[in-house]
Amino acid sequence: MDLVVTYGLNFAYSTATLGLIVLGLAVVFGLLGVMNMAHGEFVMLGAYSALMVQQAGLPFVLAIPLAVVVCGALGWLMEWSVIRHLYRRPFDTFLATWGIAILMRKGVEVTFGREYQSVDQSLPGTVSLLGIDYPAYRLVLMAVIVTMFAALFVWYQRSNTGARIKAMVQNPDLAAAVGINTARLSRATFVTGVAIAGLAGVLLAPLVRVEPYMGLDYLLSSFFILVVGGLGTLEGLVTGSTIIGGADVVISAIFDKTAGYLGVLAISILFLWLRPDGIFSRR
Amino acid sequence: MSATPLLSLENLSGGYGEIVIVTALSLALSQGQALCVTGRNGVGKSTLVRLVTGSLKPASGRVMFSGEDLTFAPAHGRARQGMGYAPQEGVVFDTLSVAENLTLHHRDRSLERYKELFAMFPRLPDRLAQRAGTLSGGEKKILSFCRALAEDTRLVILDEPTEGVQPENIALMAEAINSAKAGGRGFLIVEQNLSLVEAVADQAALMDHGQCIYTHSGTVNLRAELSSRLKI
Repeated sequence: MDLVVTYGLNFAYSTATLGLIVLGLAVVFGLLGVMNMAHGEFVMLGAYSALMVQQAGLPFVLAIPLAVVVCGALGWLMEWSVIRHLYRRPFDTFLATWGIAILMRKGVEVTFGREYQSVDQSLPGTVSLLGIDYPAYRLVLMAVIVTMFAALFVWYQRSNTGARIKAMVQNPDLAAAVGINTARLSRATFVTGVAIAGLAGVLLAPLVRVEPYMGLDYLLSSFFILVVGGLGTLEGLVTGSTIIGGADVVISAIFDKTAGYLGVLAISILFLWLRPDGIFSRR
Repeated sequence: MSATPLLSLENLSGGYGEIVIVTALSLALSQGQALCVTGRNGVGKSTLVRLVTGSLKPASGRVMFSGEDLTFAPAHGRARQGMGYAPQEGVVFDTLSVAENLTLHHRDRSLERYKELFAMFPRLPDRLAQRAGTLSGGEKKILSFCRALAEDTRLVILDEPTEGVQPENIALMAEAINSAKAGGRGFLIVEQNLSLVEAVADQAALMDHGQCIYTHSGTVNLRAELSSRLKI
């Protein structure tokens, strides 16, 4: 029984953290169609924000505004200088953002070094739940992620800005003709997406190794989830995270981590082959 | 009536990339009047509209709106200056509800401004919560028409507003346009339905090969003149 609860909680944790990681890319790629290859690097910058706050001896929670400001400002600069010229040119965007990702990795490597670093647990210890002891930070993180998703879902469905984003995504010409500044809204959406990636980096920093190349793993997982779940819907994102996260946890538990990774890769290839739009798709 | 035209197109040319569709076209429209542009399919009517609304950038010429040069103003800027627009295709946001389509561009979500139009088209208020994409083609056109008309604009641009709309509703559309004209608003209407043109036009322009080949003021002999030229 304890084993089932442990696996169940690990499954939920894996799904939730994957959902958090992919959320920013889902906003940028799913809504704007920008294949942001630097997504993982924004997660990495968020993690380094947590590291900087720790090294300065400040409370962990201050890493959140720091990451949001740093990633938001960098995202604004990236959209203004590069991305806005490449909307509707996916291959060019792919190459340009890949170049930016390399710059970001090398920049961090020069500044902080290549070695692995770690962020201390801000909530050490365990909580007794359903008969097992489970790490407190993981439980709080899951609660935060679920709350974030719910808030974002309600905001997107009910707010006027959410409606404007949907309008812009569906018919940019008509959206502009009714008075929506689509250039500004695209920029705000891009900045929001990368700021969410930075936030994800902060929240995950105490659980992972922090190093300049950490974003590459997150980038791959994010694209696998979007391939499976489909673009442009929150339901797709949650379903994709559940399938990819679940498959990874289950296969890794039965065999090993490599088998888990291969399983995830096989699922993604099957979806690309048999259902290229994913389970939920805006189209 | 102001001496400055509400809308003035001066030697306007443009199209898609290297392909020029509209060639050196000049037209003017006064406040409280309707200018109907008609012509066969593929003569550049919708391209003209896209040049006026800012969806396309002109190759040359000017778009003057109340004396202000908006030739290179962005589409959203023109809308905010007072140009309302109902396109020929892609007329509504399919994934949004009817109510969201109507209030998207306003700060508040009040539907009060649609009271008179709802009385004219009573099926619309019955479907406010429905996704706009599930409406019929004619209903989508009416939704788009109502949205463009209810905006706080000085000029309303309608591209083939009657396409797929049943005749009774076309008569109601004409009534709504004439009522708005009486309130001082101008209309640029691209339309092939001569019944609507006859019902609302103060001027009519006939286009062919991207140029204006005939203009007609007033309604006397309007249908006969346009019909005879459209057959050419």
